[in-house]
Amino acid sequence: MKRLTGWWKNPWRKPHVLAAVTWLYLIWALVPVLIAIQFSFNKGRSRSTWQGFSWRWYWGDPSLSVLHDPTLHRALYNSLWLAAMTMIVCAPLGVALALGLTRWRGYGQKPANFLQLIPLVTPEIVIGSALFLFFTTLVHTIHLGRWAQLIGQITYNLSTVVVIVRGRLLTIGSDYEDAAQDLGASPMRSLRTVILPLLTPAIFASLMIVFATVIDDFVISQFLSADASSETVPMKIYSSLRATATPAVNALATVMLVFTVVAILLAVYVPRMLRRGQRGSAVEDFALEM
Amino acid sequence: MASHPRERGSRPLSRRDFLRNSALTGTAFAVGGSAFLAACGSSGSSASGPKATSKGTVGGCGQPPILSRETVPATLPLCTSAIKDGLPTEVGATLKIFNYADYVGPDALKAFEKQYKCKVQVTEFGSMDEAVSKIQAKTAKFDITNVSPDRIGSLVATEDMQPINHSYIPNFKNVFPSLQSPFYDKGSRYTIPYTLYTTGVGYRIDKIDPADDPFKMVDGTDLLYKAKYKGRVYVLDDDREALSMALLRLGITDVNTEDPALIAKAGAELGKLTSLVNVKVGIDDYQLLPSGQAWVHQAWGGDMINAVSYLPKGVEPSVLGYWFQPNGKGLIQNDMMAIPKSAEHPVLAHHFLNFLLDPKNALLNFNGIGYQQPLNQLTTDSYITSGLVPENLRTALVEPSQFDHAFEELQLSPQGDRTWQAQWRKFTSGA
Amino acid sequence: MPRGRSESEPDRSRRPRWLWPLLALPGTAWMVVFFAVPFYGVMAIAGGRDNILFNTRDPRWNPLTWHWDAFDAVWQGIKNGSFGQPFLRTFEYVIVAIVVCFIIGYPVAYYVARYGGRRKGLFLGLLLAPFWVSYLMRMLAWVNLLQDDGYVNSALRHLHLVSHPVQWLDGRPYTVIFGLIYGYVPFLILPLYAALDRIDLRLLEASRDLGVSPWRTFLKVTLPLSRQGMLAGAAITALPMFGDYYTNTLLSASPRTNMIGNQIQNAVQTNSTRGIGAALVIVLTVLLTVLMFYYLYSSNAAAKELR
Repeated sequence: MKRLTGWWKNPWRKPHVLAAVTWLYLIWALVPVLIAIQFSFNKGRSRSTWQGFSWRWYWGDPSLSVLHDPTLHRALYNSLWLAAMTMIVCAPLGVALALGLTRWRGYGQKPANFLQLIPLVTPEIVIGSALFLFFTTLVHTIHLGRWAQLIGQITYNLSTVVVIVRGRLLTIGSDYEDAAQDLGASPMRSLRTVILPLLTPAIFASLMIVFATVIDDFVISQFLSADASSETVPMKIYSSLRATATPAVNALATVMLVFTVVAILLAVYVPRMLRRGQRGSAVEDFALEM
Repeated sequence: MASHPRERGSRPLSRRDFLRNSALTGTAFAVGGSAFLAACGSSGSSASGPKATSKGTVGGCGQPPILSRETVPATLPLCTSAIKDGLPTEVGATLKIFNYADYVGPDALKAFEKQYKCKVQVTEFGSMDEAVSKIQAKTAKFDITNVSPDRIGSLVATEDMQPINHSYIPNFKNVFPSLQSPFYDKGSRYTIPYTLYTTGVGYRIDKIDPADDPFKMVDGTDLLYKAKYKGRVYVLDDDREALSMALLRLGITDVNTEDPALIAKAGAELGKLTSLVNVKVGIDDYQLLPSGQAWVHQAWGGDMINAVSYLPKGVEPSVLGYWFQPNGKGLIQNDMMAIPKSAEHPVLAHHFLNFLLDPKNALLNFNGIGYQQPLNQLTTDSYITSGLVPENLRTALVEPSQFDHAFEELQLSPQGDRTWQAQWRKFTSGA
Repeated sequence: MPRGRSESEPDRSRRPRWLWPLLALPGTAWMVVFFAVPFYGVMAIAGGRDNILFNTRDPRWNPLTWHWDAFDAVWQGIKNGSFGQPFLRTFEYVIVAIVVCFIIGYPVAYYVARYGGRRKGLFLGLLLAPFWVSYLMRMLAWVNLLQDDGYVNSALRHLHLVSHPVQWLDGRPYTVIFGLIYGYVPFLILPLYAALDRIDLRLLEASRDLGVSPWRTFLKVTLPLSRQGMLAGAAITALPMFGDYYTNTLLSASPRTNMIGNQIQNAVQTNSTRGIGAALVIVLTVLLTVLMFYYLYSSNAAAKELR
């Protein structure tokens, strides 16, 4: 109590209460997830009563484990396919858009820029509904299913790539590019040999974030899925939880979490490594090439 | 629009799940197989199908179909001609079936492939809406499709179906008499019945008070209204099923009514569940009851039979109960199989329809999907004695006599459908 | 010579003017086809006509031919409660959840920004961690913990706080609000942290040197300076909450906790009510426009500041 009144009078010195709140928050935020992971190793069928450690739900169980239940690996495959394909399409589309919107000074720039920013703030249910109605009522060439899901994810995640890449573009500035062109490089060439290498870390980081977002996405994938064949991991978690799930769902979620964590670690550390070796070298390389 | 038990986002039931319960399946093939071989006897050679007798209403080809009812039967127009008698079976063919996921038994398919030396390929659809729009878009060719009574009229009107030549379907005589010439397709010109399912109340015998046995109640759906099971009570997440249940409680047996006043009364009756038991809505009856998450769940009969395989280890199948109006005056749906006009192997498709109507194959099919077919030989007793269905779930099976009294949810006019939808929204909003 | 081109950058003239718009073209075309057009399509469907033959909705692309029957149905639903009730409930849940999010999130963001010290990196990593755990997995975690025999009930019984397990999942509004708070509070903490971290410590020291009490310093200096972060955080947390339909389904599934997202999902995905669904989407979007644009504006301003 004394400590508390002490803090009240002078909260500058020893913010014990604040520290306690922070740690309690972190425990509250993270421990449930750790417990969910713990139960993926449960020996029994329960997701709430611990019955001992086993690998049963990963591969031990001959029919219900992640390895052996076809609906679970189909969900896993679908999520990974969706995330990988979204990355592949978003990379060129997003980088070109970021370059174009940053350097383009003309009449169309403002509306184009505005348009690509809106998905960042639009609730997913609105994008999901709009695309659902688009594919079911307005166009009849693409049906609900994985291709519709892919289009939805690209639309939703394109701005992520643009925002991150553009941030990097702005810090790079146009000096390197001007220098390259002063030395006689064509615009395309200076883009290819100077700008893109400098952007690589940012592109990589943004794609990893896109990957992590897509495999965790629920609303858009659910609105645009046709049937069980386009079910993703979050959808599988949702439908299993509404009925009665086994710890195999925890195992599936854990596998997914591993993928996400790897993607995020790569997003954080690879650009640092890339940048370390690269600072200034792009220009040197360019000069040598000349 | 009434939805089908198979229209859930993803249905994890598979045959493997079903077989996991060895108590159920141990005897299935041995006893079931021989018993029914004996039961079905020799198949006769009556080549002629049932005659289209009644003077039912005819909708024209290329015109909007009428909404068929028991009182307004439909004789579907012959927009195209059926295949000729006695054609040879296509060789080396792949029979393409269009159906709900997990809705045809894999063992039955294997037996068919063996018998007719062909391959079978099933394409799944998620909803009847999707199926009908894909067939009408003519993007893919199927030999067989599942279809519901309320949609066949539209598919015939758009000339996407072909009439059945009954000379290929000698087993048709096995069908329940009342479905030999059903009101939605007088003379069975285009369809043969596939499965039947009732909508009743599933419950946990071990969790509810013995005094609350629904069979001792005047109306078993009262069980849903018992306040002591608050938080454990579910209704099906489907406007037609839930509101029709409420209509029947009120003594209104026209479950296809479009009268806003009656539908509003049903909505109020259903809404009482919210305040009484804080009712939940869901479609996972076949999992929630076995797990004990739900104690009382408005449920589909076929799902209750499937529920047995979802019971946790150590829990006896005898804990599951299913109430359906004993006099048959409850909700029954059926669906059918039909041959699209674009079928590339129509002869094989006819053989498949005939194959399904053989009780022996119907049992193989039942073992895979848990839904019964309306065949005379497959009495309720036969499922029990063969160990396919535990005694306590006898009520989840339909007797021919029950079918005659039951009420079927049929297609509504767009206006009527909107009235039902609006009432359903009101219920789900908790207002 | 186009306006804005300065003579001091002669080298730029070699760069063809078409290059940048050309680069922006594919991405912009994508966003037009798969975002702008579908969005207009929602309006076209809301303003369209019911198709009696197929029991669906036919779009009308020309605004002059729009019908307002779907909006009328939404209005009727708001009046008779089937949309009004979920709308009110959604507002109630979102407001309560955001207030609690602030009560939890502000001290955490404040502590990490001011006192994180050497461990700031670690704290930031831990604060970011929930972002990379799928929302559905985090809900899965709580559904398991809140079971009758789950850890929460075990703990409560162990402490003799309850004698019977509490049925957390039997359709209680506060379980749903709890889920929303748990789900979205990380999204609030980060912008708050960013705003608090940017505050110049010298301002606080100046205030203190002038003899202002710490509490008043907080109220008069820190709080106003973090206002933009608070608003941005509130916006980014509220937007997904307004469209949420899965948290309450997983934690309750009772009509009593039905939110507007559930009604939208149901109406949009039912063939015969697509028009009403589309109208509801428009209504929700219009209601949220202020939040959306505020967030866009503030993040844009923040980005400019950083430059």
